[in-house]
Amino acid sequence: MNIGLFISESEKAISNIIDLQALASDYKNLASVKIFNNLCSSTSIRAVQEEIKTKKLKGVVLAGESPLYYKKIRNGDLLLKTIHEAGINSNMVSFVNLKEQVAMPHRSDPSGATKKAKVLLDVGIEKLRFTHDVETIGVTPKKSVAIIGTTIGGLFAANRLLERGYKVNFIDNASLRDLGDYKAQTMPTLAYVKNHPDASFHERAIKELYGYAGNFRIEFEDYSLRAGGIVVAIDDDLKYTEELYPLLRIERNEQGFFVPIISDTATVETVNPGIVVIPFTKNAPLPHIIALSDSASTLLDSLLSKKEIEHELFVSEVDEKVCGGCGTCIKTCIFHAAELDPIKKLSSTNIKRCVGCGDCVSACPTGARDQISAPTKYLISAIKILAQYQPPNGIKVLYLACEGCGYPSLDYAGKIGVEYPTSVLPLSVKCAGRIDTQLILEAFNEGFQGVVVCKCKDDHCLNIVGNIDLDRRANLFRSVLKSRGISPERLRIFGVSECEGGSCVGSAVEFIGYLKNIGGMA
Amino acid sequence: MEKVKVATGHLQGCFGCHIAILDLHEDIVGILEAIEIVRSPINDVKEVPEVTLGILDGSVTNTENREVAKRFREKADKILAFGTCACFGGIHGLRNLYPLKDVLKRSYVDSESTINGKIPSSGDIPEMLPHVHAVDQVIKVDYHLPGCPPTPYMIKKALTDILSGKEPELPTKNLCHECVREHKEMYIPKREFITETVTALMELEHIDQKKCFLEQGVLCMGPATREGCDSRCVKGNTPCRGCMGPTPDALEQGAKMINALANILPAGGLMFMEDVVGVGYRYALPVSIYPHVKEDAK
Repeated sequence: MNIGLFISESEKAISNIIDLQALASDYKNLASVKIFNNLCSSTSIRAVQEEIKTKKLKGVVLAGESPLYYKKIRNGDLLLKTIHEAGINSNMVSFVNLKEQVAMPHRSDPSGATKKAKVLLDVGIEKLRFTHDVETIGVTPKKSVAIIGTTIGGLFAANRLLERGYKVNFIDNASLRDLGDYKAQTMPTLAYVKNHPDASFHERAIKELYGYAGNFRIEFEDYSLRAGGIVVAIDDDLKYTEELYPLLRIERNEQGFFVPIISDTATVETVNPGIVVIPFTKNAPLPHIIALSDSASTLLDSLLSKKEIEHELFVSEVDEKVCGGCGTCIKTCIFHAAELDPIKKLSSTNIKRCVGCGDCVSACPTGARDQISAPTKYLISAIKILAQYQPPNGIKVLYLACEGCGYPSLDYAGKIGVEYPTSVLPLSVKCAGRIDTQLILEAFNEGFQGVVVCKCKDDHCLNIVGNIDLDRRANLFRSVLKSRGISPERLRIFGVSECEGGSCVGSAVEFIGYLKNIGGMA
Repeated sequence: MEKVKVATGHLQGCFGCHIAILDLHEDIVGILEAIEIVRSPINDVKEVPEVTLGILDGSVTNTENREVAKRFREKADKILAFGTCACFGGIHGLRNLYPLKDVLKRSYVDSESTINGKIPSSGDIPEMLPHVHAVDQVIKVDYHLPGCPPTPYMIKKALTDILSGKEPELPTKNLCHECVREHKEMYIPKREFITETVTALMELEHIDQKKCFLEQGVLCMGPATREGCDSRCVKGNTPCRGCMGPTPDALEQGAKMINALANILPAGGLMFMEDVVGVGYRYALPVSIYPHVKEDAK
């Protein structure tokens, strides 16, 4: 397979620490290797596009900034889009985080950083050997929006959406909320919305909510709705937030309120492109709320006015040659996405419900289930590669970071300038529920002296039960470690929030100290 | 037609797999028309002559086993690892959980029936290896046939395939696929454990002969075990113990069972908690990801 490796110096932030030239020379066997000052500049984007075409690339490794960075900035998004349009499937793009997780936290150890960068690059390339194209489906967006919460923000968003020709379904567990100080100013909008023929109100508890941008299904006790997009505007109603969290699966802050992914530049976006949030701010002035509801309605309109939305099926797949239909995945999946195929008597995946968290992949006793984004064989191989890194003091720790909080918090540690030893070797997994006992055993077998699982705080798992299932398994795999003469203390599980970079790394450093003290296994 | 020359050899195990060949009953007549067993523990030939097929049962646990396995490899065109011990190390592979010196001390010195025991150390008997190995961890193996012991049907089919030049195919699904018991609760998408407690088979007042063992709160290794044995145990009202080893996509049986059981029975099956290793790794510890106790531990 023709693979292109595109490395970013990140305006010298990476190249000042890591010897990128030396590193690049190790990959001469790849179809294309290029170093850019800034991978996201328009000249770089054009160059990448050209390389993909002329070298007939089938997979691309982007080494530089954190993968989260590309998804959060406009031209990062453009780069990914360009790569995709040049003919590379999104699952054949692999990211190597050289900035936030190598150059920044290891700036005092350039040679160690360069060596660590090498193994991380190997892991990035390895991923492309095990993944295959992810399928996409075209979704014709429903011209209707569900607004959860008859609040000021919800009403103003409804106003805009109705003006643009959308049907609006208000859903709330109570009748109209108290509009507080802004009641007088909101009344005309309320009257407009209430009398609009395309607006309806549903004062009911949501039983189920699933689907994706363009086509969500919301089920009540007695009937159901379809919606292309969802606006969440429930202000500071904590009880309702808790009720909705397992259905919406969007991020909450420390106080427990729903929040957008970036509070200053992506003020209403959530991790789900079809769901927008009007976040609660205490004593927010009315224009602030209106600006947010305008953003929310504009964002949904720009999505739902498309003829077709491309939805990538990053789901759990079943190898029908191996699945025997035991039902373990059906019992495991909280989203009811694992189903029994009534004819074949084997498990199958409901693509409308599957979120791709990988909990069923861990649970599957046969290995028939696998995660399209990160197959088990890739993760095992990645652990073997990471184990090749030889740290100066001999002790190395595998740092399994969940995509929800573990990975962002490690990025954050780098950004705020926390330094830690190169012997902490990160591997990103989708969710704590994806931590398969096989991975832990492989890590110890390959010579790691300790394993850290860094995941979301207990009730903050975006996949709802990832932490519960990790806990359920942890006691068991600790017993297995014990039986092999490995102290169960060599496995640490931390729950962090995204911006607790300092604390997660602090715990890892403390852990290395602990491992040094107990010795053995070197 | 000239008969195909076959040698069989017994490494470490209970000899049950050799006996299982006799379970073929009258079918053995047909097979003996096609093959000539030129060397086996039964005809007591010591040397291994040149043969087309070498069949080895048992695991490799001492220097003699290792030597026999190597000679078989030298003299046989194809090697069949025959039975669970040969394929995965088998039940005595569990000794890998202890350093060899502890194993010897326990057997020869500390055992309750021993008085003034001492660990044999004459050069006349083969030396124990530090760990138990599956045959393919010592020599290259061409075909595998697991089972403790393999059923007559499996043996006949494997031998017929090999004699006709085909690779004997093993099933790829788990035991639940061929299990005749009814699955109901396993198919209900509910996060609650199937039962409130975990029960040992003999504690059940009434064993439901038609219902999935897990759904009765009884540990069954079926989900993490390869099918193909005709689910003899399960049909005989005994839960699966996993002798057929893991399915081909699982890297090991124990870890996979842990992952699954954690979501099926409370506390991952309380008994399992007490003896994770004995249950999950009963037959296949030597081929598991972390196959033996850490040398510097204990």
